[in-house]
Amino acid sequence: MNAHNYSNELAEEMNLEAYLTEQWMNFEQVYIRRIMGVSSVGLGYKLKMPIIGRVLRASAEDMIHSEAHGRNPVRADGHFGQVIPLEEAKYILLNLAAEPIIMNYCMCRMMQRGVKDACCINFGVLSSVIEKLPRFIPENTKVRMGREEAAQAAEEQSRKGRVATVWFQPVPYINALCFCEVPQCGGLRLRTDFGLNSVYKAEYVAEIDPDLCQGCNACLVACQFGAIRYSPTLKRVLVDQSKCFGCGLCRDRCRFDALGLVPREDVPGLINAY
Amino acid sequence: MGQTRITVDGSRCGNATGGIDPRTCSVCLRVCDPAVFLRHGALGAEQPDPRDPEYWQVTAVWLSLCTRCGKCVEACPEKAIRVSW
Repeated sequence: MNAHNYSNELAEEMNLEAYLTEQWMNFEQVYIRRIMGVSSVGLGYKLKMPIIGRVLRASAEDMIHSEAHGRNPVRADGHFGQVIPLEEAKYILLNLAAEPIIMNYCMCRMMQRGVKDACCINFGVLSSVIEKLPRFIPENTKVRMGREEAAQAAEEQSRKGRVATVWFQPVPYINALCFCEVPQCGGLRLRTDFGLNSVYKAEYVAEIDPDLCQGCNACLVACQFGAIRYSPTLKRVLVDQSKCFGCGLCRDRCRFDALGLVPREDVPGLINAY
Repeated sequence: MGQTRITVDGSRCGNATGGIDPRTCSVCLRVCDPAVFLRHGALGAEQPDPRDPEYWQVTAVWLSLCTRCGKCVEACPEKAIRVSW
């Protein structure tokens, strides 16, 4: 974790305040806006078209990971993230996140569910940008948070069953920690529903100890990625590590210490499978 | 399976035009399990005014994920949604 990527100095160096203001003022339009003549309406169908689908996928990946100069703020240029376990989210909030730290309404849930839900933690320059946009600011609660407070809020979100993710916006500047749900997280769903690398899996993967698992299925409820199933034959849960994003929510639900996180690199079949 | 088409009639959805304000209704957004719909600021309206419902509308974006259950059609109080395939 590189502290410089979180710093206000980097944001200033990249001259991001105006960029992020423009982006956040218009963010809800990001999926319907035509990019090179194509909007995200019916994206699943468009990606399946012969040839055109492949070109579209490649240009979407280019956009998501763009480090080019002259990035366009009304698109999601250079905006991608990674799933992280709760302990890393807390480490970021306690040590790396630039102040001010705020908690605001989740853009994705507003767009996709019409629900105002304060759960996204933003920091640094982005915080001061969002604070000026009233539709994202919760009423009657304190918006700015101290580090300890933010870490506690993260814990609470995780307890609710949400997956912690950390985001470049735009790369290499890191300014957001989200607590996501499939399918109403715009960033996660591009990956889970359409296979775009908008978000990477964590550095870890869940592993089960068959001897300790009691088959209570508490973990099953927590998994957002369909990586866990129950086997009546073995009377325990099975983990599909190829589907696991390494968020650790199942581990946190397990009362028998049967589930843990191991480094992704330690599983031969998953090396570099982010 | 062929492609699904979903249209949201903007002259019914949205209280600028006599319907219910999509920002306060959003029934379709919540009733849809795969979250196909999106509520957004109208294109062309840069910096959509959060207080002005004229700038807010609903579009079915993730069409390929629609399971054709018909719940949105039933749930829409303005009968603004059409699903066909």
